[in-house]
Parts: sequence; structure tokens; C-alpha cells
Amino acid sequence: MEPVSLFSADSIWTMLHGIALGGGTLLALAAALFALTCMGTGFAAAPSDRSAAGGFVSSEADVRRARRLALLLVGIAVLVWFTVIGGTYIVFPSYRIAPPGGATDLSEYPRALLLASGDTAWLHRYAMETKEHVPWIAAILATAAAFVGVRNRPRLLSNGRVRQVVTGLTAAVFVIVAYVSLLGVFVNKVAPLD
Amino acid sequence: MTDITDPMPERAIDGASLAAVLAAGIGAFAMGLFVVLHVASLYSAPGLYGPAGGVSGRTTFAVLVWLVAWALLHRRWRTKVPAPEGVGRVIAATVALVVLGLVATFPPLWELL
Repeated sequence: MEPVSLFSADSIWTMLHGIALGGGTLLALAAALFALTCMGTGFAAAPSDRSAAGGFVSSEADVRRARRLALLLVGIAVLVWFTVIGGTYIVFPSYRIAPPGGATDLSEYPRALLLASGDTAWLHRYAMETKEHVPWIAAILATAAAFVGVRNRPRLLSNGRVRQVVTGLTAAVFVIVAYVSLLGVFVNKVAPLD
Repeated sequence: MTDITDPMPERAIDGASLAAVLAAGIGAFAMGLFVVLHVASLYSAPGLYGPAGGVSGRTTFAVLVWLVAWALLHRRWRTKVPAPEGVGRVIAATVALVVLGLVATFPPLWELL
């Protein structure tokens, strides 16, 4: 008897894209945002601790933490790019395959299935159309955050301006990724890739 | 354990970092622009990967614009440490570009075109 596969290849790729990569990205973003907003050391230093020539004096431990945070930001950028590229070039093509002419069962053609009904058309025209482009903006912003974080890693938690910029970029990425993830959950719920 | 002094002044950020930030804003705007041009039938970036359709072209072109902008800005700003007013302007411009880029990818807006 031939073994039966519980999940199709399309289904596995969709889970990898949405849960492993997308979900992993959200977790990493939450960790980075926590570190950026709660572990800042720059403003905690007393005026007497400030160097006369430059910025704040930080402990070795603070600098080590900042370096690890920079590494996390790089990891986030990598995850976002894998999510976006996998979504565009592996999952999306399966989603948009056109059904053969005269097909009555559209369950294997998610895009056509969504567009076939007035109640579900918005899931393609709004949700999926958003997911086609917006995640690329998140990937670009995540790369900028990683670059600034790595370039300024010793001062990532002590320099208020650097932390502000990286926090802003990371927060924007978090909002975008959370938003498109939710849209993806809606699409996959109604028209799953099986 | 020894303490480490940051040689950069407090709240200073270097030119290369700002270049990356502004370039990201330009990339985000480019993404929105290519979408709007396509929806308005003014310019459609060619699909570079058939199964993915036109989105492969639009996104690739936007990424190229981002990378070129980053390379140019990095070359120009990498040795500079801008004044706080300049930093503020760059950040404001980046925010505006990102917002415009995101708005342009908002499907309900396309009905107005």
C-alpha cells in the first residue's frame, strides 16, 4: 500500500511561509522591540558618567547586550526576506493558477475561488493585492534597521537617536508584518492551498 | 569590568546610517509608485517570473531603485555626521516616503485612479 501524504507540497510551503517564517519574524520583532524600548541605557546614565569628549559611558555588559540586539535585527531582516521571497515566488504562483476552462470545482484554485463570489472577492482584491506588495516594504525597512543596528552596535542601546531610529523602523516592520499576516490568515481560511 | 566611552556625541547619528534610512524610504515609495503606475496603466514593469506574474517585475524594480538609491546616498554621506536639524529632516522625509509608498499600495485607492 502506498503511503498517503497528510499534507500537500503547497500546503507545507504555505505553513512554512506563514507560520515558521512569518510567525518567527513576529516573535523576533517583539523581542527586538522589547529590548529597544526597555533596555536603553543612554538616558539612565548620570551626568557625571558622561564622557567629556563624546557620548555616554557604557559598561561592557551593556555593549555586549547591544551587540546581541544588532544580531537579532540582522536575523529579523533575513527572516523577512525569506518570507517575502518564498511568498512571492513559491506560494503566490500556486495561489494564482488559473482553472481550466469550464471547471466547476474551484477548490484547488484559490484566486478563482475567491473571485467567484461577491462575498469573498475582497479577500483577493484587497487582502491578497495588499500582500503582494506591502511585505516588500517591510523587508526594505527591516534591512535598514539591521544596517543601522550593526553599524552602531556598541551604542545601539545608549545613543538615544540611534535607538529612536531603529525602534521606529522596527515598529513599522512589526505593524506591517502583523497586518499582512492577519490578511494571510483570512485568505488561507477561506481559500486554503491544499 | 571596564567601561566603554562612546566617541560619538550624544544623539549623533552618522551619515551612512541616515543614507540607509532615507534609501529605505525611497524604496518604499518606489514600491508604491510602480503599483500606481501599473494600476493606472501608465507603466507596467515586465513580469520576470511567469508563474508569479507582474508582481515579480514590480517588486524587483522597486528593490533595484532602493539599492541604487542606497549606494548613491551611502557614497555621498558615509564620512559625514549630520547636524541634528539635518537628521530631523531626513527622518521626516523618510516617514513621508514610507507613508506615501504604503498608501499607494492600498487597493481601495486604486478605484480613484
